[in-house]
Amino acid sequence: MSLLEVRDITVRFGGIVALDGLSFSIDEGQICGLIGPNGAGKTTMFNVVSRIYQPASGQVLYRGNDLVGARPRRLPLLGEVPFLGHQVGVPAHEIANLGIARTFQNLALFPSMSLLENVMVGAHSQGHVGFGRAITRIGTAKENRVTRDFAGDLLVQLGLGPLMFRPAAGLPFGTLKRLEIARALAARPSFLLMDEPASGLTHGEVDELGDTIVTIRDQFSLTVLLVEHHMSMVMSISDRVVAMEFGRKIAEGTPFEVQSDQRVIDAYLGTGV
Amino acid sequence: MKSLVTIHEGRAANWALRLVAGAAVIGVMLWVPTHGSNPLIDQFTNAFVLMAAAMSLNLLLGYTGQISLGHNAFFGIGAYATGIIVSRWGWSPLVTFPIAFIVAFVIGVLVSLPALRIKGIYLALVTLALGLVFPQFIKWRKLTWLTGGPRGLDNAGFNFSKKRRTYEIFGWNPFGDMRGQGAKPFYFWIAAGVVVITYLVCRGVVKSRSGRSLIAIRDNETAAAVMGVNLAGTKAMAFGISAGLCALPGCVSTILTNNVVPDSTFLSIAGSITFLIVMVIGGAGSLWGPIIGSGLYVFITQKTGDWSDEKNIPAIIRPFFSWAKTSPGTGIFAVTLIALMFVAPRGIVGVWHQHSPRLMRIVPRRAGTGTGTGTLVDTPVDDTVAGEL
Repeated sequence: MSLLEVRDITVRFGGIVALDGLSFSIDEGQICGLIGPNGAGKTTMFNVVSRIYQPASGQVLYRGNDLVGARPRRLPLLGEVPFLGHQVGVPAHEIANLGIARTFQNLALFPSMSLLENVMVGAHSQGHVGFGRAITRIGTAKENRVTRDFAGDLLVQLGLGPLMFRPAAGLPFGTLKRLEIARALAARPSFLLMDEPASGLTHGEVDELGDTIVTIRDQFSLTVLLVEHHMSMVMSISDRVVAMEFGRKIAEGTPFEVQSDQRVIDAYLGTGV
Repeated sequence: MKSLVTIHEGRAANWALRLVAGAAVIGVMLWVPTHGSNPLIDQFTNAFVLMAAAMSLNLLLGYTGQISLGHNAFFGIGAYATGIIVSRWGWSPLVTFPIAFIVAFVIGVLVSLPALRIKGIYLALVTLALGLVFPQFIKWRKLTWLTGGPRGLDNAGFNFSKKRRTYEIFGWNPFGDMRGQGAKPFYFWIAAGVVVITYLVCRGVVKSRSGRSLIAIRDNETAAAVMGVNLAGTKAMAFGISAGLCALPGCVSTILTNNVVPDSTFLSIAGSITFLIVMVIGGAGSLWGPIIGSGLYVFITQKTGDWSDEKNIPAIIRPFFSWAKTSPGTGIFAVTLIALMFVAPRGIVGVWHQHSPRLMRIVPRRAGTGTGTGTLVDTPVDDTVAGEL
């Protein structure tokens, strides 16, 4: 069974159709590349899966459960209560609990926090200490220690160890891109959405990033959905590639098939005069 | 930047430093009520009231980034909870603290409901409306049976018997003479207790998973939600806890003055502005900022309190202020505030964080189990990547 299945997703912003009946699916353990010219709707797709945008129609099935459709409203502690009506989709903050993590195209870090604290917030969905226990200090010391060590290990693994007590603000872009990956991994995800992780990196760093993505896929047994403009990297590490243009899918298949597809070539190079 | 002293967190030197700092604070706290003059004790007590209120606002505005100009209402809820319960029902003032906390907590959560959808200047306006409406609401004629209307409530504090009573602990008399309404050291301890409780609650929240989620909301709401932070629930809790904590110094203010009136400073919108100012000059988003800011505020206002008589103004600054017919205290504080915002835009604590590394640096404990040696990248970043800290 596929891990994520997107069915006929349509997203409109006023009169603009950002996604127009998009459908594709990703199998468990794959690295799936999502490519397309600027404005094709790739980031919109990410925001639909992270529940930041609500699609006008369609379904997003994650392990068979629809993330965006209407479902009975649930209350904390009480669960499903009759006559409460329906809520639209899974709330954005529960996406992390389902094992879906993401990175952002233009960095969405917490600038006033240190690198270590950024990654500790990434592990938010793993923790249990709420306000009551924080005030009474029941179990906070242990959880803080465990989360701190876990975050520290992740930073060391991503080569950011020496910087872990620096504030995130003011560090170079490439370093912060890595921090985004560390923060996403801190949620112990099974599905990782990466939005242009190579943008702003040098050529050498891009090659290294490709290796890193394959390594974390294997080490953390992840499924990866990758939006990227660096074609050489996408084509070399992806198991499957989905090509988009104007909110529609124009090609899908192995990297070789997509590369040789005439519509993909047209979308990137133009159809000529 | 090379620092003069480098201390590793958790080592002996660090513990020694903590012990010295703690002993200094406790020393002052013990010396003032037992050996200090009555005006000094009053000064500390007033500073404590302001501190607790500013700390509660700091939790909401400094850490969560949700602006509130209505904290005078929560302060007033505490003041009136004590006033009503003690004056009308005759309960002990001490039992009013938990009641005030719960009432203000519930109202804070209710106020947060519109706040979940708006932010910035719009949230400021909504909470400003709350702060403006509160004194008028208290004076509402249909509520006079409860609140006492514009005249407020009397006999709302402790009322000890006329006989002189002291409670001595091994010859040490911490509460002073408790006669009638006069027991300044006793009030000092109540206010100090409220500050300590507020500090411990704030510290517990801030240094936990919940506190990190508050700062995450302040820094980047979208990213916080993606990390699994329930924005609505967390903001509502921040509002509730902040409001509940702000009610506690309200109770103290009623106990101190033995009455409560709707037009006193901290119950009107000026109270909110004062909490905001002392929080900002001390350092928003830091645990000690509101404490230092409140101390400074009360020190300046008390020091300049009797300066309407120009003979009391120190000779060196007398020419600048002697022309004023009224006390120049407010003006002096305003000038201080403007000067501080120039040299210390992030408050006094911000200045400390900026310059203290030259003198002393505390190296945090190493994070990580050390087992994660298999690196995921070929070229680890080294410490020089962004220049010096």
